[in-house]
Amino acid sequence: MPEGPMIAQLDLELRGVRKRYGSFLAVDGVSLKVEKGQFVCLLGPSGCGKTTTLRCVAGLEEPDEGDILIGGRQVTGDPPWKRDIAMMFQDFALFPHMSVAKQVGFGLEMLKKPRAEIGKRVAEVLAAFEIAHLAERRPAQLSGGQKQRVALARAMITEPRILLLDEPIGALDYALREAVMLELKALQQRTGISFIWVTHDQNEAFSLGDHVVVMNHARIEQQGPPEDLLSRPRTAFVAGFIQGNNVLRGKAGAAEAGVLPVETADGRFHVPIIGAAPAPGSEVSFSVRAERIEEGENDLPNRIAARCTTVEYFGAFRRHVLSSGSGVTLKWDQFGALPPRLRAGTETTLGWRTEDSVLHA
Amino acid sequence: MSTIRHRSAAAFWLAVPAGTWMLAAVVVPTLLIVWVSFWGGRAFSASSPLTFDNYARFFANAAYLRLIGQTFLQAATLMLICGTLGYCIAYFLVCKVRDARWRTALFLAFIIPFWTSTLIRAIAWVPFLGTNGVINQALMATGLTERPIEVFLYSMTGVTMAQVSLYTMLAAGPVVYMLASIPPALREAAMTLKAAPVTVFRRIVFPLTLPGVVIGQVLVFLNVMADFATVATIGGNKFALLGNLVLNFYEGSQLRFAAVAAVLLMGCMLAGVVLALRVVDIRRLGAR
Repeated sequence: MPEGPMIAQLDLELRGVRKRYGSFLAVDGVSLKVEKGQFVCLLGPSGCGKTTTLRCVAGLEEPDEGDILIGGRQVTGDPPWKRDIAMMFQDFALFPHMSVAKQVGFGLEMLKKPRAEIGKRVAEVLAAFEIAHLAERRPAQLSGGQKQRVALARAMITEPRILLLDEPIGALDYALREAVMLELKALQQRTGISFIWVTHDQNEAFSLGDHVVVMNHARIEQQGPPEDLLSRPRTAFVAGFIQGNNVLRGKAGAAEAGVLPVETADGRFHVPIIGAAPAPGSEVSFSVRAERIEEGENDLPNRIAARCTTVEYFGAFRRHVLSSGSGVTLKWDQFGALPPRLRAGTETTLGWRTEDSVLHA
Repeated sequence: MSTIRHRSAAAFWLAVPAGTWMLAAVVVPTLLIVWVSFWGGRAFSASSPLTFDNYARFFANAAYLRLIGQTFLQAATLMLICGTLGYCIAYFLVCKVRDARWRTALFLAFIIPFWTSTLIRAIAWVPFLGTNGVINQALMATGLTERPIEVFLYSMTGVTMAQVSLYTMLAAGPVVYMLASIPPALREAAMTLKAAPVTVFRRIVFPLTLPGVVIGQVLVFLNVMADFATVATIGGNKFALLGNLVLNFYEGSQLRFAAVAAVLLMGCMLAGVVLALRVVDIRRLGAR
């Protein structure tokens, strides 16, 4: 594929970005392409390198290796103030000595816009974010939700190519988060600005992102649309990190007709093969989603005996946590409207179709 | 906002020892000095009539007025030099020294000299500044000058040099505190909003450290105004500021004039502090 026209479509490209702090490798060869107007979520546990990756894009950290391209232009080595980005910080980083209006206009002031234009744009943006009545307030006089809006308005007013968001709703009350998430998604779709959203919360990542990047130990484990990650976790880490997966480990048998038998402490299971079959006898893992599992007597090819330990009711579904004979924790989700079938202590059998299990790399 | 809603009577009793001490050692003597400054007549007694004569005679003397002006000028000079140096030192310590151990070591090296008394540190400058002193010997050894520079000792230049060394830390300390309390994300946020480092300093860092700068300036101002020891030792009794005038009157047994000079000195210092507090509300410090 010719590279030229491809790049023009990309708002951001990372090529093998590596960042080291002393002997600690914070980002290890991260490559990523963000298409124009895409909503990308960097997801991973704390310390996985997602924030450092974001800071490399902002220019707040200098990568030791690799290239960063914004809008097709090489920006590696450029300072933050020369990059076509804006950033929202975790605790909002509002300037305590500036009024909301001054704060929101700061970016335009830095771009040397005429005073009249700044005043007009600030008024428009404050109205659009429904914070016009706060214009003269100082950050100390604002609530968490108000601070969040001010920080967002301050970042968006310069109409950057990319908005970088470092856990932007982590500091908000839980009740407020969902509403803010919806607003931010709508804003992103309306403006067409690419969002790169760092979070450790998979609900945020999967409900917001067009493209989700799961990171662990400074590397990208898997990236793709949310559906792909949910239905086809590529590694045991991704499967274990994403809620609702049952991860089982065992020894590979001899593959036959595209199906791999896996010998585990809880018996033999059949898993479809993707790509090359693992060598017989090698350690493999696979996962099955909790909602794909069926409980009780049936003639499914994969069956496991388990004892229910906890039942959690979420309204839409009922999650059962079970323990297998060898002590593996299993989850089975049942549609919430159905009558409950298991209680803590009930012995049962779980089963699933072969095509519902996913072999990990 | 205070979380203490109710103050019990016992809490007030806790303040009694310190209050008594302040009253006896500061408030009463100060009031006595003010009272004495208004004593008329010739006898030094509590039955003296109260008049403005002492003040009238003081202000009639142009030499004394000039001396007040020189005292303010000296304070302003020191505020400028110590403020600039102090800010640079504070900025270096907080923003440029990345290693926490190095920062502690440098900070200690910076403040340990201040564990000795001001008077001793002032006197310690004499062997440095003299015509045969360390500085002149060094200058001549390196060939920068042929003859010793005499303006160092027994001159206002020498006094200023000594005072800079004595009071720079007072200007730096509050700035160190204010700089350290600025979250790094604020500078970073400004940079992502297209502000280059100089602008980040001018628009974000400096305004946020302003209370520390003002407090440092107040401390330098008060110390220079009250400093008679450095002026006496380094200036070699050839120079006098308002503080030395108090001492001179006292040693000459002109107690009423000593009181007048003392009251004026206190008045000047008070005026300076009030002026500074109009710029920055110290009570709001740390409330951010």
